[in-house]
Formats: sequence, structure tokens, C-alpha cells
Amino acid sequence: MKTILFDASRCNGCYNCQIACKDEHCKQPWLPYTEAQALTGEFWCKLTQRDRGRVPMVWVEYKPLICGHCDNCKLLEAAPECVYRREDGLILIDPAKAKGRRDLVDLCSNVYWNEELELPQKCTGCAHLIDDGWKEPRCVDACSTDALTLVDEDDPRLAGSVDACGNAESGSHMRYINQTTNWIAGMVVDPAAAEAVIGAKVTFTSADGTVACELATDDFGEFHTKNLPEGAYTVTVEADGFAPLTVQADSTEADVMMGELHVVAA
Amino acid sequence: MKTADKTVMQNMSLCSFGNGANGTCIDVKDGRIVRMRPIHFGQWYTKEDLNYWTIKARGHEFEPGMETYCPPFSIAYKTRTYSPNRIPYPLKRVDWDPDGERNPQNRGKSKYVRISWDEATTIIANEIKRIDDTYGRNSIMAQADGHGETGSLHGPHGCMANLLDMTGGLTMQARQPDSWEGWYWGAKHAWGQEPLGQNVHQTNLLKDISEHSDAILYWGCDAETTPWGWSGQQASRMMFWFTEIGVKYIAVSPDCNYANAVHADMWIPVLPNTDAALQLAIAYVWMTEGTYEKDYVATHTDGFDWFQYYVLGDEDGVPKTPEWAEEKCHVPAWRIKALARYWATHNVSIAHCNGGGYIRSCFSHEPARLEIYLLAMQGVGKPGRNQLKYIEWALMGMQSFSPMPSAEILPDVRACYHAAMLGDLPKSFIPKTLIAKALKGEKIEWYGHVTSRHPREDQFQHFQFPLEGDAGIKMVWSDSPCWSTCWNDGNEFQDAIRSENLEFFLVQHPWFENDTMFADIILPVSTKLELNDFGVDTYNGQFNIMIDEKAAVDHVGESLSDYEAVLEVAKKLEAFGGRYKKCVRHFTGGKSEEEWLEKGYRGSGIGGTEWEDYDTFKKQGIQILPTKEDWEDDPAGMINFAEDPDAFPLDSATGKIEFYSVPLAEHFPDDHVRGPVAHWIEEADGHQERISSDRAKDYPFLLVSNHPRWRVHANFDDCPWTREIETCKIVGPDGYAYEPVWINPVDAEKLGIKNHDIVGLYNERGTVMGAAYVTERIMPGALYQDHGSHTDPIVMGQGGLDRGGANNLICPDKTSSKNAAGEVTNGFLVGLKKMDLDELAKQYPEAFAPRPNYNPYTGISVMDQIIEED
Repeated sequence: MKTILFDASRCNGCYNCQIACKDEHCKQPWLPYTEAQALTGEFWCKLTQRDRGRVPMVWVEYKPLICGHCDNCKLLEAAPECVYRREDGLILIDPAKAKGRRDLVDLCSNVYWNEELELPQKCTGCAHLIDDGWKEPRCVDACSTDALTLVDEDDPRLAGSVDACGNAESGSHMRYINQTTNWIAGMVVDPAAAEAVIGAKVTFTSADGTVACELATDDFGEFHTKNLPEGAYTVTVEADGFAPLTVQADSTEADVMMGELHVVAA
Repeated sequence: MKTADKTVMQNMSLCSFGNGANGTCIDVKDGRIVRMRPIHFGQWYTKEDLNYWTIKARGHEFEPGMETYCPPFSIAYKTRTYSPNRIPYPLKRVDWDPDGERNPQNRGKSKYVRISWDEATTIIANEIKRIDDTYGRNSIMAQADGHGETGSLHGPHGCMANLLDMTGGLTMQARQPDSWEGWYWGAKHAWGQEPLGQNVHQTNLLKDISEHSDAILYWGCDAETTPWGWSGQQASRMMFWFTEIGVKYIAVSPDCNYANAVHADMWIPVLPNTDAALQLAIAYVWMTEGTYEKDYVATHTDGFDWFQYYVLGDEDGVPKTPEWAEEKCHVPAWRIKALARYWATHNVSIAHCNGGGYIRSCFSHEPARLEIYLLAMQGVGKPGRNQLKYIEWALMGMQSFSPMPSAEILPDVRACYHAAMLGDLPKSFIPKTLIAKALKGEKIEWYGHVTSRHPREDQFQHFQFPLEGDAGIKMVWSDSPCWSTCWNDGNEFQDAIRSENLEFFLVQHPWFENDTMFADIILPVSTKLELNDFGVDTYNGQFNIMIDEKAAVDHVGESLSDYEAVLEVAKKLEAFGGRYKKCVRHFTGGKSEEEWLEKGYRGSGIGGTEWEDYDTFKKQGIQILPTKEDWEDDPAGMINFAEDPDAFPLDSATGKIEFYSVPLAEHFPDDHVRGPVAHWIEEADGHQERISSDRAKDYPFLLVSNHPRWRVHANFDDCPWTREIETCKIVGPDGYAYEPVWINPVDAEKLGIKNHDIVGLYNERGTVMGAAYVTERIMPGALYQDHGSHTDPIVMGQGGLDRGGANNLICPDKTSSKNAAGEVTNGFLVGLKKMDLDELAKQYPEAFAPRPNYNPYTGISVMDQIIEED
């Protein structure tokens, strides 16, 4: 079936996807596909944001969470009487049959409870629009930067993609590419001269002694790992004329902004 | 199933002034707007039809795209049309009696009663006549500018000014060059670049930078935020493109703003409004290391030795070293040197898109001029070295404002434009920055007409208000009631608007927001989705588009368009005869709506060209114009000046880039704040807004009050789908949605403030509330709160307390500097404290009493201010 592909390197965090979903569904029923979404509080397309790093190395990571109409959908398994899969693969909760089924909310984080209507609700893949001739759902249509695209099952970009939880193998048709691992970054400075140290060699060594990565500081004395596997590293800084410096960094849980690493003349 | 009955198209620009952008499809079903979405060009045009362009550089390609790139405001706009805060019918303040007590002191407090359009327009016409007869026409001021919806025939902002002008005159509020204050008051004196002082030679800069630049300095700007209301999201696509081809993004700003957060390769945090120190230190490095373009400086500039004399410390004994700058701007000296050296050895351009504090703080003319000096020292105009704008790509009908490939035609709406023309001022006018003082009855003086349409020399003319023999302002007629939430020292305005001097405050507006709550009469105005109009979308950075804007739905409530509302007043005035004779015909030009729309199309610049085709335009509802055939041949940026400054002089006094401005020296010999050569100014002209100031002991933080992420100034603060985003509003324990205040974790810990604590930003001008948002996205020593949140005063006026978080209320009241009447609305000193909601509720029981119609996701509601009839 068609898959929504999210390219993390193209998302600017504008929330168009989340807002377009609300524009389509809030207070607007599209029966028999779905009842109306509540004006606020439900996020059939939910953009999340996470600040990463510390001053002055800070970036924000955005990530949309949308129903993947999974091959192994738990809702379908648990409640076949009110959840159904269409021929095109989209999975819908039947609003005429699902009243009161709060239990579905506990089965999947993409399902929301509409308090007023006493209904479990979620993304329909904009099935009503697709049946009316649309080529893609609102979230994809509203994306201005091509971060969200609707692709065929055999699209080459899907190779290497993961689901929302980071699993390569799963039945979700909401896929993610170009997400980055926690990074380690810093600046090498000679405080005595008040100068950035350019071209210093920065080596990342794993606990087992393997050199995982070697970088050179840039024109501003900065270094920044790209897709280094998350873990604990010994970071060694070597620059001509300076005593080597060794520090520890652990990116297992979060990005590591090491700040200024001060080197001293040898 | 049928998912729409009909589709219409409109330009959803929130720039106003006739500047169209953000082309959007509006789907309607059962008489209601059901969705708003991008326009896809392919249903009418092939790429060949549009002479589709491609930029090829470094093995990659960038294309304009075949759909509009709507910002979230366009997608969510129906929430504004259907806002619960829409003014449902004409309203009169209950204790304002035009024939008796007017109770000006109760403006902002007392409630409203429903009246009919007939009653309202009768009162308005009688008041205009009475004030005219008693005080003269210059006592009626039109407040008729500002950002908001863009209309043409129904043009918001200024229809009433036209009616007043054709029936005897008025005083106008003169719109400041508020997006460009520093450029206007400073940079124009360094390099001309009329009319704004920003580089107006943008043509083909996308191509030039793609081919030649190593890096772009994004100096104090947020190209992921400010362009949204103006031009959509092509700016975002451009930034992704530059990253794709390896053009380094270097951010210089106090905040990791929304563009930096996604696109930046590196961020240089600088304390708000201390860029001048950083710039001077960069110049110092270049001068002492000999790494600037000496030949270029010799041939393309004037007065460099004056600047060098100052930078090296010969003038004041203080060399402007990186260490000197570090203390002021908090950028480490080692980083300043690295930046200076990188810049001197690479092709670097500087990007702007207005907004931010860089150019709207006190003395903003100085960093603006200093930037021009630095650009000049690195040979501005040479390939890859320019000043680039990410916004306003067709401003003032100037194609040269766009860095994208030029189009065959740049259409505009002038022929059917019924709003006031910016810069077209009557003899009696008041700079917007000085309105509060004028309302209070003070005599005010200043230099220049202060609008963005006036040339550099205009800044040497002296003006005053009131004119000799005039009585001052007795009536204000506003169609842009957000002065207090967008300008300087809004608390002073809240005092002024309640002054005895002001006998009548009339507001026409769609929503009960901001200064509307101070009005004596309120007329309900339609949003543009309820109106037929002629529109263009020429800021999109793709193709120029003309739109036959059709009303999506009927007028909501009893609303009329701005034009229709003023027409109703004209009809009443006509009965007085005399100067009002035939004023309806004068106002309408005797034309029907359809006639105006056709006039708009034919007079847009397309008339008489091979593309003029009104029938197809009406049939399709849209016409998209092709790119110019030979667009690649247009000289890029300032290359002509760089290659031959004598043949292609700038419009400065000497035709060169002036480090020393002779006109400033001649006209203001005693001005040492905006002197002939740009300087670092510590404090002067009533501004003590530095961390070195005595005031900083009480107010230790510098506030960044940027163009808002989730609003366009004060527009859009009632949208439920933006308000539920954490960076837009944070709902407090009292169920009230507060405006976030960003604070660095280091500062939060010092103050004992936790994430989502309710806090107050304060200085001697008052306190505005907010909710703490503890984040690494703001540097220590600075705080950040978007500007433009709706005012919700607990205590009005100077020293007041605002629950809404409208931080313009506590901005400085003084202008940029003594002789520069620009606004100062960013980068000023504040303190921050935790607020105890229980204590506040005890102290202000009335303000904290439950409001039945308040909803944290839509905010305040007009229904809580209307006294319902039995």
C-alpha cells in the first residue's frame, strides 16, 4: 500500500501537517468514514519537537506521529467488529460501531478519545478525499518542504527507513529517514591566546579501544559528529604545539555539547 | 462522497498595503469553509507555459515548484473567520453618550450594547460634522495602516482616510518604516538604497549565491517565521537548498530562532542589541591584520579613514578589540577573531528577513550602518558577496527586491485599491511612534515624514504636531486597532487613549482584540473570505499570480467590508450637503464591484500586453505569468556597482558607500548618537538599555521580542490550532493560556524558576505576564517572548499589569535616537519574577473572576463584554 515517508532532514517544524489535519477533521464529520475530531486536544497527525544540545550548539528535531495503518494493527486484532481495513490498506475505526470503546485508546498511541462523542478516533488516511479523487492526504498536500511525501511500496527511499519507534522491520506504513543519532560536539580553544584551534584532530574511541570516528576542527575550532553510534567514548584532542587533551563523552541518552575544550601549549 | 461544493482562491497575505502573497484554495461545502490548501498550478499550466526556471549549481538543482507553499496561517485561516471573538454587530460603549457624559476614563473597562448600523452610522456622521465644525478637520485622525489581511477593492486600512480626505481633510497616523528602522535611519546614510536602506539590488542573488558563496550570515533574522505572513515557505526551501549545496549557515542572534533551530551550521549567540560591538571588533581584526579589500575601499567608498580612526581607538582611546566587544556582546573574543578571519577569506553574504531585535532597538541606525561598512570592507557586490533578503520579494512594485528569476510582468492592485496609499500624507500627520504623546495633547516635534516611501533627504525636514492654530486630536477612526500591542510603550498609549482630550474613538475591525476594547463605537468588519476582490500573489518566489478572489461564504454576522462600512458612513454624511455633497459617488467612483474588479485586472500592468485575457482569468479564477525569457542575463545583485562604481553609482550623496556621512554632519552637527560615522553608543537620548546601565541592577535581562512564530504581529492570537502548540501558549493552573517566556536553564535556576511557572516580565513601565519556557534556545542573560500577544490588562496604563503578555506595553517610549523617530520595541532591559496567581486573584478579584466565554484555546471573547438585551 501507499506509505507516508518522513524525511527528517527536510522538516522545518511549520506544523502545516498537524494543522491541515485539524482543518480537515475538527468539527467536520466525514461520515461514514469518521466523525468530527474535537476542536483541540486530538492529534491524528502529531508533530513532536525536541530541543537538542546546549548553547551555542542547539538544534530542534521535529517528528510527526501519524497512524501507519500497520500490517499487524492491534486495533484490528482486538476489535474487528468496529475496525476495518479497506482494499487500499487504510484502516478505519467505524464511528457507527465504536461508541464507548475507550479500550482502543490504550492499544495504540495514535488513537485519541473524543470525550464529547464518546468515540475512539484516529487518522483515516483522508480516505474520504482519496475516494473523491485526491492523490494524497492533507498532511502531505500541505507540506511545503517535501518532508512528507506519499510513496509507493517499492520506492527506493524506503530502504533503510524505520518506523516511529526506530524499528526497521515492522508493518507500519509511516516511515522515517535521515533521523540522526545523538551527537557529540564541542569547540577547541587556546584560552591563553584567545584563539580557536583550527584543524585539531579529534578522535572518538569506544570502550573496546576501537577508533569510531576521527574529525578535524573547522575554521571556528568546532567539531560535530554525524551519525556516530550512540555510546560512551574517550575523546582525544591533538593539535600541533599543544598538549593532547583527553575527555569522556557519553551520548547514550542524549546529545553531548562539550563546550569549550581548552588546550595548553606543549 | 462529495468533499466540496465549490472552490475559490484568494491571496492570504497578512502583509496588507495591497501586497499579495500566499495564494490559497478555499473549499466550501454546505455554505461553510471546509478546508484551505495550496494551489496546484498543473490544472491550468504546464511548466513550459510558465517558462519554468531551474537554478543549477554544484551538481544540484533548485526549482520553483508547481504549487503554492502555504504557511500554517493560510491553512488555519477559517478559524479566524469563524472566531468566537468576531464582533457580531455594531456596538456602542454603554457609558459613552455623544449627547452627554462620555466617560473616557472608562475606556477599556466598560461593556458594550448592541446598536444597529443605522444608529451607528448616524452617530459617526454627526460626530464627524460636530468635531469638524468645532475644532476643524485636523482634529480627526485616521489610524489606517498596519499588517493584516490584504485586500484591494475592499482594502483594509485606509478607506476612511480617503473619505475624510475628499470631504475636507484629516490628520494621518504616518506609518513608520517599522520593519527597517535601522536601515532607514542609518544604512540609507551609508549607501542610499532607496527607499529602505536595505539592498534593493536583489536580482538573481539566488543564482549568484548558489554559484559563488561559501557562507551566509543570518544576522538577527528568522527566515522560518517572518516570511510566513508575507510570502509563504519558499524561503524555507531556499535554506534547505543552500544546505544541500554546502553554503554554510552561520547564525548571529541571541536566540536559536526557528530557522537557526533547523538550518544553522553554527550559532553565534550575541546579547540583544549589542551587534554593533561585534561588528566593530570584526572591523578591528580586519584593520589590524590587513585583511579587508583595500582597493575596493579606495575606489568604492568615502571616508574610511574616519572609521579607522574610531575603530583603532585614536578617537577615544579605546581600541575596539575582540576583548572589548566580548564584554559588551558576550561573544568570546576567540570566536570573534575566527569569524572575522573566516569572513575575510571566503565569499560571504548576509541574509535578512526583517524581524528580530537587530534593527528595532535603540540606536538601531548604528548596527545597520556598521553592517554596510563591513560589507564594503569585503567588496560587496562581488560574486557571492551581497546582502540578501528572504522576504518582501516584490515590495513597492520593485522587481529588483526579488533574488529569484524575474518575471515578465509584476502585476499590482493599484488600479482598484481603495485603502490609503502609504506615504501619501496630508499636511497634518503624526509619526506612529509619537501617537500616544499627541493623544495626550503634548506638542511634538520630529524630523521626516517617517514613511518608507520618503527619500533620505526627507529626514532633514522638521515637522510638528499640532499645526499652528490646530486643536489637537479629538477623534480617532481606526481600522488597525493594535497600536498598544505593536508599538513603543503601549502602556503610555493605554493612558492616552483614555484621555479627556479624545472625545470619540471609533474602531472598525473583525475581532474584539487589542485596542478595540477601548473604542466608543465598534463596527463589525468582514474577513476577506467573505468578500469578492482582485488579488495578486507576487511575493512567493515562484511565479507571479493574479487571482479573481471570490467570496467563499456570506458575510458573517452583521459585518461589512472596510470599504462597505465607510460607504455606509458616507451615505449619512451626504445628507449634510456642502462639502459632503456627492461624497458617495466620489468615494465609489460611481463604479460597481464588478467594474472595479475588471479595472483592477486591466490596470494591474497586464493591460495591453500579450497576456491580457480577462475572460480566461475570470473562467479559471487565476492567471499565472511566466518567468522572463532572458532572466539569467540580468546582472546579479550589486555586481554593476562592484565592477564600475562610477558608471553605476549608489543613491548616496557621493554615489559611493559612505563611512562618513557629510549630510548628517551638516544637518545635525551636534548629534553624537547618530553622528557622521557609526559608533557604539552606550546610553543616550533617554535610553539606558545596556547591561552596563544602572537600570540593569533592577532589570538585568535584555528581552528579545521578535516577530511572533504563531502570529503576524497581533494577528492570529485566537487560533485554537496554533494555541495548542507549546511554543505558542502555555495553559496555567488557572486555566488561562499564557504567552511563553524563554529563559535559559542557567538563568532559570538562579531565579528558582521552573518550566511553565507563571512569571512576570517587568520594568518601571509595567509588568506583562507569561509562562516560563526553560530552553537552551535562548542565551543566558537574554529572555525571549514573542511580541503581539493580545493585551488583557489587569491594571491599565503606565506601571500597569497585563495578563495577556503583550510586551510592547513595556517597551521604551523614546524613539531610535533624538533625531531618528524610529520605534524601539526590542532588546530592552527587563526583570523576571515568579507570579503568585492566588495572591493576584485576591488583589484583583474582578480581573480574575471567571469569564463564561473565555477559552484557553481561543482566548478572550467579545461575548463577555456585551450586555445582552433582555
